[in-house]
Amino acid sequence: MLSLWLRRLPTDRIERLRERTTVPLVVYGKRGNAELLTAVDDIAERLGLSPGVALAQARAMHPGIEAIAEDAGADSQLLESVADWCLRYTPLVACDPPDGLLLDTTGCAHLYGGEDALVADLSGRLERAGLAYRIAIAGSIGAAWAVAHYGEPGSFACGEERALLAPLPLTALRLDAGTVAALARVGLKRIGNMIDLPRAPLTARFGADLLRQLDRALGAEHEPLTPRLPAAPYVAEQRFAEPIAHEQDVLASVARLARRLEIALERRGDGARRLELTLFRTDGALRRIAAGTSRPLRDPAQIRALFVERLNALSDTLDPGFGFDMARLSVLVVEPCPPEQIGIGSAEDAAELDRLIDRLSARLGACRVRRPVAQDSHIPEIAGSCVPAQMTGTDNGWDAFRRHCADAGLAPRPLRLLARPEPIEAVAEVPDGPPLRFRWRRALHEVIAAEGPERIEGAWWSEHGGPARDYFRVEDKSSLRFWLFRAGLYRDLAQGAVAPSWFLHGTFA
Amino acid sequence: MIAQLRQSLRALQKPAGIADGPGALPLGIAAIDAALGGGLARGALHEIAAADEPHLAAAAGFALGAASSRSCLVWIAEDMALAESGAPYGPGLEAFGLRPERLLTVAAAQARNLLWAMEEALRCRAVAAVIGELRHGEIDPVAVRRLSLAAAQSGALALLLRGSPPRDASTAATRWVVSAAPNDCFVVQLTRNRRGPLGSWMLQWSDDDERFVPATHAQPVAAPAADRPHRKVA
Repeated sequence: MLSLWLRRLPTDRIERLRERTTVPLVVYGKRGNAELLTAVDDIAERLGLSPGVALAQARAMHPGIEAIAEDAGADSQLLESVADWCLRYTPLVACDPPDGLLLDTTGCAHLYGGEDALVADLSGRLERAGLAYRIAIAGSIGAAWAVAHYGEPGSFACGEERALLAPLPLTALRLDAGTVAALARVGLKRIGNMIDLPRAPLTARFGADLLRQLDRALGAEHEPLTPRLPAAPYVAEQRFAEPIAHEQDVLASVARLARRLEIALERRGDGARRLELTLFRTDGALRRIAAGTSRPLRDPAQIRALFVERLNALSDTLDPGFGFDMARLSVLVVEPCPPEQIGIGSAEDAAELDRLIDRLSARLGACRVRRPVAQDSHIPEIAGSCVPAQMTGTDNGWDAFRRHCADAGLAPRPLRLLARPEPIEAVAEVPDGPPLRFRWRRALHEVIAAEGPERIEGAWWSEHGGPARDYFRVEDKSSLRFWLFRAGLYRDLAQGAVAPSWFLHGTFA
Repeated sequence: MIAQLRQSLRALQKPAGIADGPGALPLGIAAIDAALGGGLARGALHEIAAADEPHLAAAAGFALGAASSRSCLVWIAEDMALAESGAPYGPGLEAFGLRPERLLTVAAAQARNLLWAMEEALRCRAVAAVIGELRHGEIDPVAVRRLSLAAAQSGALALLLRGSPPRDASTAATRWVVSAAPNDCFVVQLTRNRRGPLGSWMLQWSDDDERFVPATHAQPVAAPAADRPHRKVA
């Protein structure tokens, strides 16, 4: 476990955006009713200022300081972008607000040539980014955190926790201030004072939390890490000796990574349904590009083709800056992909169509490529709606719909249905007659023929079911055919219902 | 023996919808099919225009009826068109002899994307027909040419749906102007035909036959002057 503490995050955030000065900088915020310093830079620290001092007092001591109000949002944003950027070391990165990160480097450090090399790489990058840091690696999250914040940073093996923690103050156990103060009153100031004390009286007096934190720090109890992003089941990555900037190079690297993924996917009989390409820019920025597929996929050529479309669809360019020094292709969603016979008739056609759907979805967006599905409902807009094609299965309910039509005899349905019914002004016979004329989108239509009504009850079992609808199919003077309905019934007026109103819902060919 | 087996295998491998190769798709009406030389040419681009914007639904109906087949159909429209007239409605398509599960609808933000998507869809072997709804605006002749070529390569039917009769020349194989007529009829004018004569017909969709038939109470429709294709039918 690696704990990274950006100890001057608020002041570093301000200072890295401007010229270096010799004016001490402090950041203050309101705590209770007082304005206290929340962060100080190294010049201010040398003057003897520290977080927790009242702003007024600091100003009285050193009138020359520059004080800026805190901006927790910007701080957490910066922390998150550092976290994103730490994904280059391990997929398991968790934020430790307000100013820390936790990285699970188990099994990853050797890729950098050991933990020390990894820490050296990380420190170099943080220094260049102008962030003050403290890094510690230990066997447990608690120990790494304690050492990063209160100890002598470094890398420590499992089993050394006891010796490591003993000299540290009790606040290093991440306890609340009340417990620490209460422990101090009975003379317990360092972790070492407490490790060998009988546990039952401690729990009775200070609660179970104290010993849990101690056990977690000592590695006796497991503490789960909650990563910011779920770890992908399949990942392939490539580092570049020279940063790459051209789209062609990026695509070539995608193809290479996809070939590596193919082997892993094939071994377990899986296929990718959703892929993500992460490009790490040399200056720490990150570019994520995701692509979905409509059937489990592992063919490298097709994966590359998907990203060709995604890159084409990006409204801005790839924006490589000074180049990308690492690319990672991860499979976010997998599905079993049994080997199948290829080259015979309709199965190949279906695969071909799925490839078309994937290409269109990658370029235009998955929500723009849709397929009609039939749903078991009598409300027209629900009965037939369009859903993204990548999400539909082989059976879209149309067989059941056709059976239902054959049994029940459904009145004609329009060719096109408006996304939501549009209100119209209509003149109609009361109570149940078809409209004689109506005005839709400012144009007046004289009805010469009408068919109906077809009554469709609202969902009376639901609070938001809406009133009953009487649908009419009408033809106007210029032979245009519309599907209109009256929402609500005149006979319900007596029970205090709202007056019926007319809507246009679709057009017939 | 083996040659025979190979031949039957080849017949099996042909895509379902285009089994008889890039030929013609008969509309089932002798007069029209004769004018077209057998039917709507597959592997070519056809323009279907509404006589007037409100008649777009009728034009769409004619396009669907013409393209109706057991194979996959792709309908590509601009976002605005879908917002204005609504998306194709599954239960309604059923009435036009089209299996809704064979339909794919694509929304494109701009005309450029629409033409790109049409070309992609035409190049796909599994697609039998592509309908592109491009209501307004000029179409780049180069784009039309590209679509025609893509259609010719794959043998699929490419239909371009327009909001009003275009005035410009185009490389499309045929151009139709469709308007709605009383009693659920359609007036269909063939205003451009590379293979033969022009004409004007009154049609009706027959649910039983799942094809167009000449309207039973058809009033005679005056043939439009050949040099004034935009003239409306009375």
